[in-house]
Amino acid sequence: MMIKKNGSIRLITLLLIVTVSFQKKEIKKRDSFATVKIVFNNTVKNSRIYLYDSTYTNPFGEKYTITKFRYYVSDIFLKSTIKNAAEKNSYHLIDQGNVESQSFSFPVAPGDYTSLNFLLGVDSLHNVSGAQTGALDPTKDMFWTWNSGYVMAKLEGNSPSSTLVNNKFEFHIGGYAGEYNVLKNIQLSFPEDKPIYFASNKTITIIINADVNAWWHNPNEIKIAEHANITSPGKLALAISDNYKNMFHIEKIITGN
Amino acid sequence: MKTRISIWIVFMVAFSAFLLSAVTKEVYNYSSTTPLKLEVPKGWPKPLNIFAGNPLTEEGFQLGRKLFYDGRLSKDGNFSCASCHQQFAAFATYDHDFSHGFNDQFTTRNAPGLFNLAWTRLYHWDGGINHIEVQPLSPLTAPNEMAENVDSVLQRLRADAEYRRMFREAFGKGDINSQKMLKALAQFTGTLVSANSKYDKVKRGEDQFNPSELHGYEVFKEKCEHCHKEPLFTDNSFRNNGLPLNTYLKDYGRMRITGNPEDSLKFRVPSLRNVSVTQPYMHDGRFYSLGQVIEHYRTGIQQGPTLDSSLRKGIQFTKLEKYDLILFLGTLKDTSFLNDKRFSHP
Repeated sequence: MMIKKNGSIRLITLLLIVTVSFQKKEIKKRDSFATVKIVFNNTVKNSRIYLYDSTYTNPFGEKYTITKFRYYVSDIFLKSTIKNAAEKNSYHLIDQGNVESQSFSFPVAPGDYTSLNFLLGVDSLHNVSGAQTGALDPTKDMFWTWNSGYVMAKLEGNSPSSTLVNNKFEFHIGGYAGEYNVLKNIQLSFPEDKPIYFASNKTITIIINADVNAWWHNPNEIKIAEHANITSPGKLALAISDNYKNMFHIEKIITGN
Repeated sequence: MKTRISIWIVFMVAFSAFLLSAVTKEVYNYSSTTPLKLEVPKGWPKPLNIFAGNPLTEEGFQLGRKLFYDGRLSKDGNFSCASCHQQFAAFATYDHDFSHGFNDQFTTRNAPGLFNLAWTRLYHWDGGINHIEVQPLSPLTAPNEMAENVDSVLQRLRADAEYRRMFREAFGKGDINSQKMLKALAQFTGTLVSANSKYDKVKRGEDQFNPSELHGYEVFKEKCEHCHKEPLFTDNSFRNNGLPLNTYLKDYGRMRITGNPEDSLKFRVPSLRNVSVTQPYMHDGRFYSLGQVIEHYRTGIQQGPTLDSSLRKGIQFTKLEKYDLILFLGTLKDTSFLNDKRFSHP
C-alpha cells in the first residue's frame, strides 16, 4: 500500500514538473512570438462590396446585387520547412456585414514561412458533435436546422435574371460528408513562392482578397437564370464549391511593424 | 504522516489541474452540480455517447425539463416542446395526425414519441438530425411550429432571474448561450427511458403474458421483428414500407436528406414501445388504429423500386393473429413512464 502511494506521489510530482516546465516554456515563447494578422478583403473583381447598394455583373452578363456574403475559415496554419504554425481553436466566420469579423490575429513562433493554409468551411467532426459556441454558434444563421450541418459559405442577393420571388438568388453551400462534401483546403503561397521571415515581436499582416466573381464560373457555369436557389447539399452545391475554392489570392503582405 | 501525504497529494493534484486548465480550452464549471447517470436497462445494447461533452447532472436535467415545458421558447408564447410532445402520449401528440403550430398552422409530419433517444443515431422521420443537441433548433425555428429565432429566446431567458439561477447552477458563471440551452434540453430528452412495460416485466420474470398476448408475441417475432427489433422495437433503419406517396405533402422522406433516389419514400422505422398511446401512425399520421396499420401490411403495400424487400408480398395475418398481435403490442405500454413525475411539468 505504502509503495503504491509512493509510486503515485512520484507520478504526480513528475506530472507537476512537466506541467510547470511546459507552462514556463509557453510563457517564455509567447514573449518572443511574432504576430500574424489576417485580413479578408472581399470584392467583386476589383470593386468593393457594398451590401444592397451596388450592382455587379457576372461573366454571363447577369446583373446582381449582394445582400449577404459569409464564409467559414478554419484550421488556419502557416507552412514552414521546419514546423508549421497553427492557430489554436481556429474557427472564423467572415461576414461582409460585420467589419470586425474580417480580420483577426494569432501568435506564431518566429521563422521562415512559405504559405498560408486554411479549410474553407467547418471540419466534418464539428458538423456532427452537437451544439457549438463561438463562431460556430447556431445563432450565426449558418447551421441547417432540418438537415444538421453547417452552411460553409453563403451568398445572397437579387438579380433581374432570377425567376424567384423578389428576383432573389440564394446560395447556401454545405455538405460535410460523402460525394457531396464541399470542404476545400486552401493553400495560398507567398508571392513568388519565397519564404517570408516572421520576426519575433513583429506583426505581419496578410491581406487576402476574396473575389465573389469566382463563384459563377471556372470550372462550372452557374447562371442565375438557371439556378437562383442552391440551398441544400448536392451536385449544384459541389459545383459552386469547385468554383469558389479559387476565389482567394494574397493581395499584400506587410512585414513592417 | 499518512494525513500529511494525502494533503500533499490533494494539493499537488489541484495545483496541476489548475495549471493544465490554464492551457486547455475553456469548459463550463460543473463543480457544484449533482451528477446523474443514464439508466441502461438490463440486456439492452450499449447506448450511444450522446452526452459526450455534456455531463449529465441533476441541475442540467431540471433546467432542460423547465425549458421543455416553457411556451416562451416560441414566438407567441403558446408552443412549448411539450405542446406537441405530451407525456401521456409517450411524448407524441395524442390523437393528432399533425400537430398545431404558430398562427393556426399544421406541422408536416406526425410528431414521434420521445423515449430511448440515447439508442437512436439519427433523429426525425428522415434522419436529418445528426445529434440530439441540435434537434430543438428545428421545431424552434420552423415557421409552422414554434416560429421563433434562438436569439429572441435567449434574450427572454436572460431577463428571467429563475433561469439565470438555474443556468448558473447547471453550467457555472457566464452568459446564457444557445449551447447551454441545447445541452440542457438534451439532458432532459436524452434521459427519457421507457423500459418498464408489461413486456419488460415478463422478460424480467416479474409478470406473465396471457395466452392471447403470448400468441401475439409469437406472431410479432415471426412477422414484425425483422424491422422492429427487440428490445428497442426498432432497428433504427430507414425503409419504404409500401405507403403510397402522400400527394398533398409530396414527402419523399430520407431522399430529401441524402439526395439519393434509392432513399425515395424511406422513413425511419419507429419503435413500437408505447405504440398503443401514440396513434395516429406513420410519418403523416394516416392510420388511426393499429388494425389499419396491420391491414396496410396485409393488403395495402404499394410496389415500387425502393420498397423494402421483406414487404414485396405483403405480410399475411389471420384474423386471430391480427387481434392477438394488437393485444401483444398493448403490453409495450409503459405506464410508469407515462406517469413518471420526474418527466412531468415542473
